Amino acid sequence: MKTIAVIFGGRSAEHDVSIITAHIPIIESLTAMGGFDIWPVYITKEGDWYSDKAMNDMAFFKQSDYEAILKKQKKVRLSFDNGLEVIWPGILDKKVKIDVVFPAMHGTYGEDGSLQGVLRMAKVPFVGCDMASSAVAMDKAFTKQVLFAEGVPVVPFVWFTREDFVSKDGILKEKIEKLRYPLFVKPVHLGSSIGITKVTGKSRHPGESRDPELENAIEVAFHYDDKVLVEEGVENLIEVTLPIIGNDVLTLASVERPLNKTEFFDFKDKYLSGGKGSGVNSEYSEVPAKIDEALIKEVQKLGKKTYRALGCSGIARVDFLIESTTKKVFVNEVNTLPGSLYVHNWKKSGVSGVELVRRLVVLAEERFAQQQALTHTFSSDILSKVGGPKAY
Amino acid sequence: MKNFLTRYSLNYVRSLVYMLQASEYHVGDFLDWFWRTRDFLHVEERKTLVKTPKAVVFLCFGYTTLVVLYVCALWLLSTATAVWSYLVFFFAIVGVPFVLTYILAVFTVAVRFMQWPVERSIVASAKKKLKEHKGLKIAIAGSYGKTSMREILKTVLGRSKKVSAPPGSHNTPLGISSFVNGLQGDEEVLIFELGEYYPGDIRKLCDFVEPDRGVITGVNEAHLEKFKSIEQTQKTIFELANYLKGKTLYVNGENILAKNYATALTPPILKEVPDRAEDLNPSARRLATPFTKGRINFYTRSGSGKWKVENATTNLQGTTFTLVSGEQTISAHSHLLGLHQVGPLVAAADIASTLGLTPTQIERGISETKPFAHRLEPKTDAHGVTTLDDSYNGNPDGVRAVIDFLASLHGSRRFYVTPGLVEMGPKKEEVHTEIGRELARAGIEKVVLLRNSVTPFIEKGLQEERYAGEIIWFAKALEAFSALSNLTVQGDVVLLQNDWPDQYA
Repeated sequence: MKTIAVIFGGRSAEHDVSIITAHIPIIESLTAMGGFDIWPVYITKEGDWYSDKAMNDMAFFKQSDYEAILKKQKKVRLSFDNGLEVIWPGILDKKVKIDVVFPAMHGTYGEDGSLQGVLRMAKVPFVGCDMASSAVAMDKAFTKQVLFAEGVPVVPFVWFTREDFVSKDGILKEKIEKLRYPLFVKPVHLGSSIGITKVTGKSRHPGESRDPELENAIEVAFHYDDKVLVEEGVENLIEVTLPIIGNDVLTLASVERPLNKTEFFDFKDKYLSGGKGSGVNSEYSEVPAKIDEALIKEVQKLGKKTYRALGCSGIARVDFLIESTTKKVFVNEVNTLPGSLYVHNWKKSGVSGVELVRRLVVLAEERFAQQQALTHTFSSDILSKVGGPKAY
Repeated sequence: MKNFLTRYSLNYVRSLVYMLQASEYHVGDFLDWFWRTRDFLHVEERKTLVKTPKAVVFLCFGYTTLVVLYVCALWLLSTATAVWSYLVFFFAIVGVPFVLTYILAVFTVAVRFMQWPVERSIVASAKKKLKEHKGLKIAIAGSYGKTSMREILKTVLGRSKKVSAPPGSHNTPLGISSFVNGLQGDEEVLIFELGEYYPGDIRKLCDFVEPDRGVITGVNEAHLEKFKSIEQTQKTIFELANYLKGKTLYVNGENILAKNYATALTPPILKEVPDRAEDLNPSARRLATPFTKGRINFYTRSGSGKWKVENATTNLQGTTFTLVSGEQTISAHSHLLGLHQVGPLVAAADIASTLGLTPTQIERGISETKPFAHRLEPKTDAHGVTTLDDSYNGNPDGVRAVIDFLASLHGSRRFYVTPGLVEMGPKKEEVHTEIGRELARAGIEKVVLLRNSVTPFIEKGLQEERYAGEIIWFAKALEAFSALSNLTVQGDVVLLQNDWPDQYA
């Protein structure tokens, strides 16, 4: 029996969403599959780590006082002694050796490569994208820069840091001026549409360069992040998304169209209006999207290209913006841990939760085996020469 | 040891009373359950104790007795003088739950004895009211399928007649009495399910209801543990045939046990029963009299009475067929699933036409029939997975019919989820092995079994037929249900077959 740790929660705006993803479908599917000793590892909003099998049941987190219950428990420690061990400290430490990790954390620290970096150091196979692709995908500006360089269509954009915004105000304004309204202002690192504002340009006074609506939007974005992206909105917009799994050989789910009620897909639509017991994002979407076959093909082609350009592995979801009259397709962003793994879509694409989770674990182990086959060290005599007689 | 200690928990009395209620205050069943159960803390798994006045009386009596027993034990301790009296005290304390169980059993018998005159007077008054009622009375007996038959008749006849039937499973004299007391008097048709638990039950209910027509839905191993033999079951159910002298009885011709028994009762000329009894020549009619004096109408998916069935098809949307009788035709479409539903629908159509309903009225009535709760009731979720809830179907014939239906569904991956059937007595192994063989022959892709004393026989049957699909095991029904949403994809069909009541768990 393999021991698997599902890590979720974390210091992230998407902390609660992560709890759902961890349980529906990950822990539920692992349980249904059998053959796994499942250890839920939960990170609080403060960053404390706990692990208790009672947390395998989603009901644990529905208790209003679950945080108080946890505070009475021992925090766990991690050991990286040639593999990952979870340790409950005590007179006699209790230790559990972990064979594979299933990260189920959204947003900062979990989806941005931080956790992946820790797991690489620990030398343990883990599910989903690796550190570099996670870090790039987490930064919407980096993503666009990489994709633009690789010839994948993205909408025109401008990015800047808080420091830039103060010191290069004039240059930035000039750049933003060149973008066509409506604009979207986004914190580059946040997922789930948090801190995103649509700027219509209606508040601009003719002849004046100041746009209070835009300034407010940038202010809001800087409230959440120190790097901000301003990009052109797409007219006659159709949004679609495509979940993908695989390392070298890719399997595509169905192209899905979120049927958002508001003007763009905000946090509430995404997570709070989902159906009972089916994880996040299961309703308000059309699977498969009822769009032209040619557009579907284009989305699938660009999806694969994006996945490879960013070096994704395991699972990711690529979001697209389509100009429906000109049929122009743009890649918008990449999500390396889709909420609830987008299991609702996979189910409609013929892959059950159990099958999805099973494949992801296999993909994690395959990538790990490939990485272990690489040589990471080589012998040299450089140390012995440090401080020795200088050669003339 | 941990399980043994559950007898000493505060909830123990509640568990006992719950089990008395679940076994309808049958002391034998209650004691059987008591000796079978290990963990007394977790008995209310599927249902919970309903606090009826009777249950409250039992709870009060149970807790009072418990206190008295412990007080007696302590009194023993206080008077203890020698070592052996401490031993007696110890055994008295250990024995309290067992003694309490038997005291409750005796109390149950005593209560029944006290209730008897009251019940008798309620039933007598209801019987009088029913005798004066002008409505046509149809009685349904059988080991299975009674509720489905009742609902079909209610729907098909209800289109044009004022029909009433006791709700739920009100099929005991007291249940029927409360229904009769609520009648308005202008009902044109009354439909009764006759419950059979012990020999003589059907006869008693017939004396009460005095039916004008009868339907026997089938005989099988359901309740075999109570009846001891299938012959006894047959005899009990056919007490209805015995009663209906000179009146029409419909018998499910697809059920071998019912068909054989009915055929043995009926003179040869009536075996196939193609026409109405009135149309028979005098000698045939004379031949038809020795037992029922009336006629037996078999109903099958080929027809019943004057109706012949043509072009019957079924899928997840329902069942479609044509009824033909001379010049008359009915294009029937029912939302009920499976060809096994055609027989009961035709029987209802035939009863309807003898009551004067026109083919159009019958057609409309049939079109309104739909699956009843937990009886092959389809539900498709947001992910496109269709669940067929057949959790109230716990009999071998029903299971066979459903497997036939699943076998007819093409292009879907099929999951068959079951804990097996209860009350199969000595037929336990035979019935379950056969279910396994049928599942294998039907090519069901996934068989999901709950671990218990009978499902290994299903596995055995599957293996005997070299089953090529996957068998998935779960310890508990709840685990299986939560796993299913992660095992299925769009287009899958999941059949939930039978749910075990707590007293069998």
